[in-house]
Amino acid sequence: MTYRPTRKLTVLALDPSVKDGKRILRTQIEVPNELLEAGPRGYRVFVVDYDSSADSYRKPAPARRTSRNPTRVPVDPFQDATDTELLGSYEFRAFMTYGIVMKTLAQFEFALGRRLSWSFGSHQIQVSPHAFADANAFYSDRAQGLFFGYFPSSDGKRTIYTCLSHEIVAHETTHALLDGLRERYTDPSSPQQAGFHEGFADIVALLSILSAQSIVAKVIDLGLPAARRGLIRRASVSLAALKNSGLLGLAQEMGSELAGVHGHALRRSVSLPPSKDYLTSGSCDEPHACGEVLVAAVLNAYLTIWVDRLRDIGDGTHLDRKRAAEEGAELADHLLNVCIRAIDYCPPTDIEFSDFASALLTVDAELNPADAKYALREHLLSAFTSYGIFPTSKGGAERQKGSWDPPPEKSVFLYDRTHFENMKSDPDELFRFLWENRVAFKLQNDAHTRVLSVRPCTRIGRDGFTLRETVAEYHQQLKLYARELSRLGIRRPPDMPPETEVILYGGNAVIFDEYGHIKYNIGKSIMDTTRQSARLAYLWDHGGFAPGAGKDRAFSRLHVRRATDWYRSVAGNYSPEYQE
Amino acid sequence: MAAAPTSVTIRMYNVGFGDCFLLTFNYPRTARHMLVDYGSTSAPKHVPKTGKNSNYMERVAKDIEAVCEGKLDVVVATHRHRDHISGFSTAAGTGKIIASLKPRYVIQPWTEDPRAKVNAMSATASVYTSGKADPKQMTAHFLGSLQDMHSVAESITRLAARQDLAGSQTLKQLHFLGEDNIKNASAVRNLMEMGRRGKAYYVSAGMKLNVLPGVKCTVLGPPTIQQSNAIRRQRSRDPDNFWQFRAFWGAQNFAMRKPLPAAGVKPRKSRVRALPPSVRWFVEQSRQIHAAQLLGLVRDLDSVMNNTSVILLLEVGKHKILLPGDAQIENWAYALSRPEWAQLLRDVNLYKVGHHGSLNATPKPLWSLFRNKGAPGKQGRLGTLCSTKAGKHGSISSGTEVPRKTLVEELKKASTFVSSEGAKERFCSEVQLVFAQ
Repeated sequence: MTYRPTRKLTVLALDPSVKDGKRILRTQIEVPNELLEAGPRGYRVFVVDYDSSADSYRKPAPARRTSRNPTRVPVDPFQDATDTELLGSYEFRAFMTYGIVMKTLAQFEFALGRRLSWSFGSHQIQVSPHAFADANAFYSDRAQGLFFGYFPSSDGKRTIYTCLSHEIVAHETTHALLDGLRERYTDPSSPQQAGFHEGFADIVALLSILSAQSIVAKVIDLGLPAARRGLIRRASVSLAALKNSGLLGLAQEMGSELAGVHGHALRRSVSLPPSKDYLTSGSCDEPHACGEVLVAAVLNAYLTIWVDRLRDIGDGTHLDRKRAAEEGAELADHLLNVCIRAIDYCPPTDIEFSDFASALLTVDAELNPADAKYALREHLLSAFTSYGIFPTSKGGAERQKGSWDPPPEKSVFLYDRTHFENMKSDPDELFRFLWENRVAFKLQNDAHTRVLSVRPCTRIGRDGFTLRETVAEYHQQLKLYARELSRLGIRRPPDMPPETEVILYGGNAVIFDEYGHIKYNIGKSIMDTTRQSARLAYLWDHGGFAPGAGKDRAFSRLHVRRATDWYRSVAGNYSPEYQE
Repeated sequence: MAAAPTSVTIRMYNVGFGDCFLLTFNYPRTARHMLVDYGSTSAPKHVPKTGKNSNYMERVAKDIEAVCEGKLDVVVATHRHRDHISGFSTAAGTGKIIASLKPRYVIQPWTEDPRAKVNAMSATASVYTSGKADPKQMTAHFLGSLQDMHSVAESITRLAARQDLAGSQTLKQLHFLGEDNIKNASAVRNLMEMGRRGKAYYVSAGMKLNVLPGVKCTVLGPPTIQQSNAIRRQRSRDPDNFWQFRAFWGAQNFAMRKPLPAAGVKPRKSRVRALPPSVRWFVEQSRQIHAAQLLGLVRDLDSVMNNTSVILLLEVGKHKILLPGDAQIENWAYALSRPEWAQLLRDVNLYKVGHHGSLNATPKPLWSLFRNKGAPGKQGRLGTLCSTKAGKHGSISSGTEVPRKTLVEELKKASTFVSSEGAKERFCSEVQLVFAQ
């Protein structure tokens, strides 16, 4: 029996407007190998080509190109296709969408060391590559799917397919995956929680693009023109060149029409100068503007480390272009894994960027304690603080600065009434553990408490042995009338009527070590009165309690709001409407 | 020179869902008339569907003609929504009656100025002139966006005719909002023509108009692009942010006009069996999502159009009448950002309720300014006039119904509230305001 866990698939490296000479820049991605049905329809992704604008369903091409013989590696169906063939093919669009969704999923599973679930009940997410004639693309949990629109270019001569943008497909897939990992991040909370979904999706999409060598080589060509064939002059290596000519150049080549759908994640994150008061001045209260600050911090850390690496390789005067690209791609891939892994170390509700910073530092300290090659933590910490993102945790003595601390020694957890073997996968067993330890976990007894997930995951320990840890998250929810808030020490926003119903959230992510003991207990207590007061004040001021406000949270609406934010931005300082 | 008017009579015609106000200023020897909007998208409940009494708009036109004895002084068309200007259409005949009253002044928002440059969306279009963001280019592109919005509305109205697209409630709203936003060519032409024969004012915030003797007439909105940019949040002043808005509406317009050719199975509701069982559920979801998207889109463009509304403040001595059309917060924000205007607004005596009583056209910062609010019996209590028809716009379940129940309750509580609809539907409601000497 042959062992073939992956296969290769040619996709566009970015989008149809980014070229390598005359040809569209492509990349061959590696995705899990499987026996595909027509669609393609695989074990996690089901492409359904239904167009609601034209009201038509396109039957998928028969699954002829993939071998029916499981002992053979399936051929890459588009490896030798010309640009014209690629751009004119419905089948390619279906395959490219399938491929990037699968690659993003595989990247998450690799980083987390376990299978991931979608937030909805189904195993297969449905993907619509020509969903409607609309400059929009989004994830919908209700419809259990990803929708990619298409629209004509401004000269009317071409059709722009959002599914042909690597970045857009990876971004939307990340929304779906993050929703599966942290289902409460779509709850109304702070601008940062709303911004996190967008920012994180942008980070994954951008790093995932930059982990393709063909793209990094392009960035180098734009920023550091080769002096001689294949060699770059060492003196020309600079952060400014890679940033302003390299990445910004790439951003400018990307389909400008697509910016109407997704904003300019790359351009903004590169050009946003460091400043410590974006998040406190109120100027970034809009979710996308807020998310851009996070993206900028991560991308700046990436660039600084890459430039440092480039200074370390090559001879006295020159360095090899291919080697430089390898470094860039490898670093992107590494950073991407750390960012994804950090989600396990983020609180399950009311996330703020400073929590993500602490999570990143903790994860990296766990995975790469020496950190000799990249000095990743040092760079991340300095990039984050330069954008005003200060880690939530200070990090105890002899621990990584800014990382989470283990639970204090004085907190006593009772382990004798539950079985750890069961707790690794059984939410009911884990709930019993929580309940028995409700004092140590500081649970609010009136609130509804639920275990959201319990998942085992594996990683390689410092000594090279496999470590098995368990990641669990629980959630608390308390529905109250505004008049009851003061009893709990939470401030009722001025002029909020006492009969208004409010919902408070809280919850923790709990990491168990291989012996079943609590290693980290990371979260947001539902009884944090300062946080709850601030959250209610923000939501009240920003129309979060206005009629119909909840419906605006759908991703489809969020993207439209980003595109048309200019229009609404005058109203920033006012409650949007008459509030009863 | 005529003296100041001694009183004003305001006639609020019942045009169903729409606005039509005739203000008659009574001077010692004469009277002058100002018509503010004349449009309708849905007949009042008491009007029969057929027969000679079914043409309620013509009845209104004839009444206006009779009241002003053949001569209108001022016509105000606050913005180009059908429910505010459909009556001016000559195709229906009513527009000819109004034109025959030869208005001396025609007031419209700056967005209607026929001399203004309008930029279509194209690959090379830009908002920069020699490297700098240019307000003139932005203005031309904003006007281009408004045109795109008309086309989008037209496409949506067409799609709403597709019965299988969504549930009947959604379809009804799509159709209603779509139609209200379709370009009303005949009415627009007639207004322009009337303006050309008399004097046309295409107004923006800050202008003072001298159209009626003894009446100070200040324009509080709409702000120009430059004015509204000045009060934008810092980062939104980036011209790229504006460009995204422009590109979005350009792309929407293109997209709707040119869907991909239909291919394969056309699964009309009755033919859903033609689809493989594995995709039926998802196709149904896709349709619902698409309809919800279209509704979001048409609501967005409806707001943008509402915000082109002229906001007029009329002052006679210490008395103030506020006529805001359908302005929402994005339009109001500029006026409210100016302390001297906020001061002026505090003692408004009569307020025409914005946008037929919708929740977002009486912004809280405005409502909280009014000092003449109070219980019945309060000296000089605020008067409010609301022209509306329930069950046409928004939905109760989402709390967006027009008129918004909670707003109406507040208006009834704190002001002398007159609505065009009620237990006793009338052809016209009259309110008089006597100006103390």
